[in-house]
Amino acid sequence: MLRVEKQAWDAMVSHAERIFPKECCGVMVGSDGVVKEAVPLANVYTGPQEDFFVMDPMDLNRVDRESRERGLDVLGVFHSHPDCDAYFSKRDLENSCSWFSYVVLSIKNGRFDHANSYRPDFNQKEAPKEELIYG
Amino acid sequence: MAKVLIPTPLRQYAGKQDSVELQGGTVGEVLASLTAEYGDLRRHLYTDEGKLRSFVNVYVNDDDIRYLNKEATPVKDGDTVSIVPSIAGGTSGVEAPPAALSKDEILRYSRHLIMPEVGMDGQLKLKNAKVALIGTGGLGAPLGMYLAAAGVGRIGLVDFDVVDFTNLQRQVIHGTKDVGRKKLDSAAETMLDINPYVEIDRHEVALTSENALEILKDYDLVVDGTDNFPTRYLVNDACVLLKKPNVYGSIFRFEGQATVFAYPGGPCYRCLYPEPPPPGLVPSCAEGGVLGILPGVIGLIQATETVKLILGSGEPLVGRLLLYDALAMRFRELKLRRNPDCPVCGDHPTIHELIDYQQFCGVPNQAHEPAPAEGEIDPVEVKAKIDRGEPFVLIDVREPHEYQICRIPYARLIPLGDLPKRVNELDSADEIVAHCKSGVRSAKAVDFLKQAGFKKVRNMKGGILAWSDKVDPSVAKY
Repeated sequence: MLRVEKQAWDAMVSHAERIFPKECCGVMVGSDGVVKEAVPLANVYTGPQEDFFVMDPMDLNRVDRESRERGLDVLGVFHSHPDCDAYFSKRDLENSCSWFSYVVLSIKNGRFDHANSYRPDFNQKEAPKEELIYG
Repeated sequence: MAKVLIPTPLRQYAGKQDSVELQGGTVGEVLASLTAEYGDLRRHLYTDEGKLRSFVNVYVNDDDIRYLNKEATPVKDGDTVSIVPSIAGGTSGVEAPPAALSKDEILRYSRHLIMPEVGMDGQLKLKNAKVALIGTGGLGAPLGMYLAAAGVGRIGLVDFDVVDFTNLQRQVIHGTKDVGRKKLDSAAETMLDINPYVEIDRHEVALTSENALEILKDYDLVVDGTDNFPTRYLVNDACVLLKKPNVYGSIFRFEGQATVFAYPGGPCYRCLYPEPPPPGLVPSCAEGGVLGILPGVIGLIQATETVKLILGSGEPLVGRLLLYDALAMRFRELKLRRNPDCPVCGDHPTIHELIDYQQFCGVPNQAHEPAPAEGEIDPVEVKAKIDRGEPFVLIDVREPHEYQICRIPYARLIPLGDLPKRVNELDSADEIVAHCKSGVRSAKAVDFLKQAGFKKVRNMKGGILAWSDKVDPSVAKY
């Protein structure tokens, strides 16, 4: 189960809506399974960003280090699916990392529609849904 | 002992520690000691075949080992090894299909389509890609032509120059009929003739700190085909700030360089050259010359890297500076590292916006042609002195092969490099005027002579080029 506090959730949704129609991405930071902050990061994918995102590992490294200094943990990552449902796609699975919760936000016509959270396995074969509580 | 930083989700398998001190001479050995000590970590980092999982990136002190020696990268006492996952994903593309290729395009790109490394997916990536090309000169010419031919869907050209005869020896995108036309128009016409399926944006401006971010933000990556230091630093910083790869190339005489800067985790131009050289120290192609074919070779290395980045295939030229020597016909490679203290791409950057690059590179602002400064003399006045029969010595400090191209009849040839050993041929009692091609080298000659005790020595402003413009148009320009 993943819980996202309201302030963090609002930051994720507004970031995803702002970046629409491109895919956004970011990191969720908190402690004891509760996300307290969302950190939007740049999508550094060099191709069309309407249906793909890549996070700069240096950004992730920096957020991890800064969170650690403040006694918080990186709990997961989030990204958006513009004009598309919040499922865990084949491309998501092929690029997934089993260490994190993956929150996917569906943004339709520029507005938040719905969201899901997934926990991919090591072999990038399956990503079971986990309960997501937000707001 | 090296310190390994454990990312949050893996700490539960490493005794809840956020870092572990371990022995090992290489990254592979350090990670082997880590997984020997904490067995549960192994399956999170390695596949059953014993390879690092595809989503695991390893850094030694902020350098991505992919751009060093991978798992054989040496680790010293006190080094920090970080394990950072790569995070990517996206919709499957089924819901929002990228524009399909027409029947004519399928025919046009068939030699790409039949290669599995490109295929339909890759060709669509090229079609959907947006590339900014700064400059349509020596490097920009082959780049523009081949990127258009390859089917890069949108190419933004940035240039404000006009084609002249001295360009034609290498800038093959322009022809003799184009002399006097805007380079943008001439380049776009050639590219659209090669491939009418590409879109070309024409930015008829000099790239500046005021417009660079606005122009470049709409492109996926940037290719630098410029030939001056202020613009190189400007393009670099803009790419780092916008997080867009900068495909870099440079040329001089018989030698060229290429690499990819500002790629995630890789170095930038400032990591290689934190400071610009003093103005005038490194001659431009206009001053030092360039083999006409050279920009073809380097521009096409840039074009190759551009296409690879778009396709996401192969090993990008990141963290490696490729050096090419046309005379020896040899390629060499230097390893480059991201500098953690880099003011723009380092861990604690101090530059967060674009600066004044002319000032940074010490280039004087030449909005108006300034009057001849003290120690300078205008070519018109030199001509008047000759006509009046005033006694003075005019020395030409260019090279003998330049002297063969054109000369001022009254002038005596003493190449700049020979001046120290031939200084005794000059009399400090005489009035002396020095000239070269454009005035840069003769200014150095004047400085040298003043230091040697000559007092009555002046630099002919603008060199023999200005002489041709102002005094004698029959003198050839080169």
